[in-house]
Amino acid sequence: MDVISNLGVGFAVALTIQNSAYCFIGVLLGTVIGVLPGIGPVTTVAMLLPISFTLQPEPALIMLAGIYYGAQYGGSTTAILVNIPGEASSVVTTIDGHQMARQGRAGPALGIAALGSFFAGCAATLLIALAAPPLATIALQFGPAEYFSLMVCGLIAAVVLARGSLLKAIAMVILGLLLGLVGTDVNSGARRLNFGMTGLVDGIEFVAISMAIYGIADVVYNLEKGQAASVVAGAVGRIWPSLADLRQCTGSILRGTGLGAILGVLPGGGALLASFAAYTLEKKVAKPPRQFGNGDIRGVAAPESANNAGAQTSFIPMLTLGIPGNPTMAMMIGALMIHGIAPGPRVMTDRPGLFWGLIASMWLGNLMLVILNLPMVGVWVRLLRVPYRLLYPAIVAFCCIGAYTINNKPFDLFVMAFFAVFGYLALKLDCEPAPLILGFVLGPMMEENLRRALLISRGDPMVFLQEPISLAFLVAAAGLLLVIAAPAIRLRREEALKE
Amino acid sequence: MRIRAPKDFWSGVMFCGFAAVAISAAHGYSLGSAGKMGPGYFPLLLAVLLALLGAALIVRSVVFSGEPVPRFHIWPLTVIAAAVCLFGVLIEPLGLAVALAVLTVMSAWAGARLRWAETLALAAALIIFSAGVFVYALGLPLNIWPGL
Repeated sequence: MDVISNLGVGFAVALTIQNSAYCFIGVLLGTVIGVLPGIGPVTTVAMLLPISFTLQPEPALIMLAGIYYGAQYGGSTTAILVNIPGEASSVVTTIDGHQMARQGRAGPALGIAALGSFFAGCAATLLIALAAPPLATIALQFGPAEYFSLMVCGLIAAVVLARGSLLKAIAMVILGLLLGLVGTDVNSGARRLNFGMTGLVDGIEFVAISMAIYGIADVVYNLEKGQAASVVAGAVGRIWPSLADLRQCTGSILRGTGLGAILGVLPGGGALLASFAAYTLEKKVAKPPRQFGNGDIRGVAAPESANNAGAQTSFIPMLTLGIPGNPTMAMMIGALMIHGIAPGPRVMTDRPGLFWGLIASMWLGNLMLVILNLPMVGVWVRLLRVPYRLLYPAIVAFCCIGAYTINNKPFDLFVMAFFAVFGYLALKLDCEPAPLILGFVLGPMMEENLRRALLISRGDPMVFLQEPISLAFLVAAAGLLLVIAAPAIRLRREEALKE
Repeated sequence: MRIRAPKDFWSGVMFCGFAAVAISAAHGYSLGSAGKMGPGYFPLLLAVLLALLGAALIVRSVVFSGEPVPRFHIWPLTVIAAAVCLFGVLIEPLGLAVALAVLTVMSAWAGARLRWAETLALAAALIIFSAGVFVYALGLPLNIWPGL
């Protein structure tokens, strides 16, 4: 079978000493930042983008991917033991997980979180291996009109699933697209929107803008919130869940994995949405429903499986279509572009080693994570004693070094300072930054496809409605907007996202 | 007319501001036509859309009531933004060690009260770590000391 020979290629790449080592660094870092509240995978991946420039593309992507799914494991540790979500995607795990810890069952909670994550990670990776090739084959036949409509649909979906006001989210997408156009126009060579600044001739540096928003602005925002004193729960106890626990959780893990895998593929999806949805679903279907909120182990198993499955499958649109579903995937696209690889369906055929190596590394990484997380959980708990006042100057420092070394251009630091101020304002005004980053990455691609589509149709915009696939994407986008604008559903969405 | 939703209002103002800047800049580039777009076409299209959305937010803010804008903490923002800029100014002439030390002290200062001993120890640790990892291990072209 093709899949097997492809995975063979992948494992040959992933199992080299160098690549396994970078996979290990990635998942180790992911666990560390997952455990630490106040620093997330997006910030870390942004900080490491400049470093990835010095590596080959394979180890670079393997490491960055490891950070993302590794953080899903680490986040649950903090959620269970300290009742603070180490990651946003572990918010729901605090509900039942911390209750379990208070009842002296921290060990089984941590154990089931890691085992559920491991199962979900393996299953979702298999799904990527199976689903990616046919998707990429379909995507290869897309013309510019299809691509443009696909991006519209993707951006709309990302906006619909974002928190807060729809109007603001759409405005942030458009602002992101606009910022993405700053610099030299590829077609005419004209310099545009650079306000006469030579530093902006090559455009706004992606690394600078993403670190500004997810690193610096986040630090400032955390500083004023003040960090709650962390109270570490007592002994962790026996890690392995009992057979009865396992039997009770099998269904939850399977449901969580399935739901997470589906939601991960959607634009705007990924780990966060998956964990919320899985917990809600579990509360509805699990029998007996008595214990939820009071330390039910299924309330840990389902969202932890789901967030890991979602984290893995959110790679599918990134790898096959070149379309990022969430900010971390936007960073991965940024990493590909730093290495001069055009993201899109061709990556699979042109760089099979990279594509399959990355997928194979996810299995390897998940295995490492179980080993890292189960026996060594005590080490991670101790990390929580690092106070934020020592952590944040380090974050600022690595952001600055990263922004400078990406081009050796001091100007990029001024860009970063500017967008840090902007990011802080946006946070204060409840404008989610994620749509901006997605728009920023897609801006040039979107213009290029719009331009080509309209060139072929001699300026007739009806082309987007005449091509069936393009029409389908636009109908889907319009449908999403209508659905979300309907008041009843709008309310339920807000409920689901707030919970 | 009264602003009922200050968060929406100021978001709208911000988006309109960006749109105005973009429109005034895109104004100078050739537009072309839909079939043969010039460099100004797509930016102008986006800027106009952005202005419309900003205006919609402003209109909404006087019709529906909403949340007030939370208090701004100007101090940490200003100090950290200034520290980032200063790093950019210092890194080439004075090298990584000095730039990092200044950055660390300023960042710590942006937080709560400054603990000198702890901050200087942190700065030293960051300099050693960065020099070791970024300069020696990864070979990034950074000067550690002034004028080397």
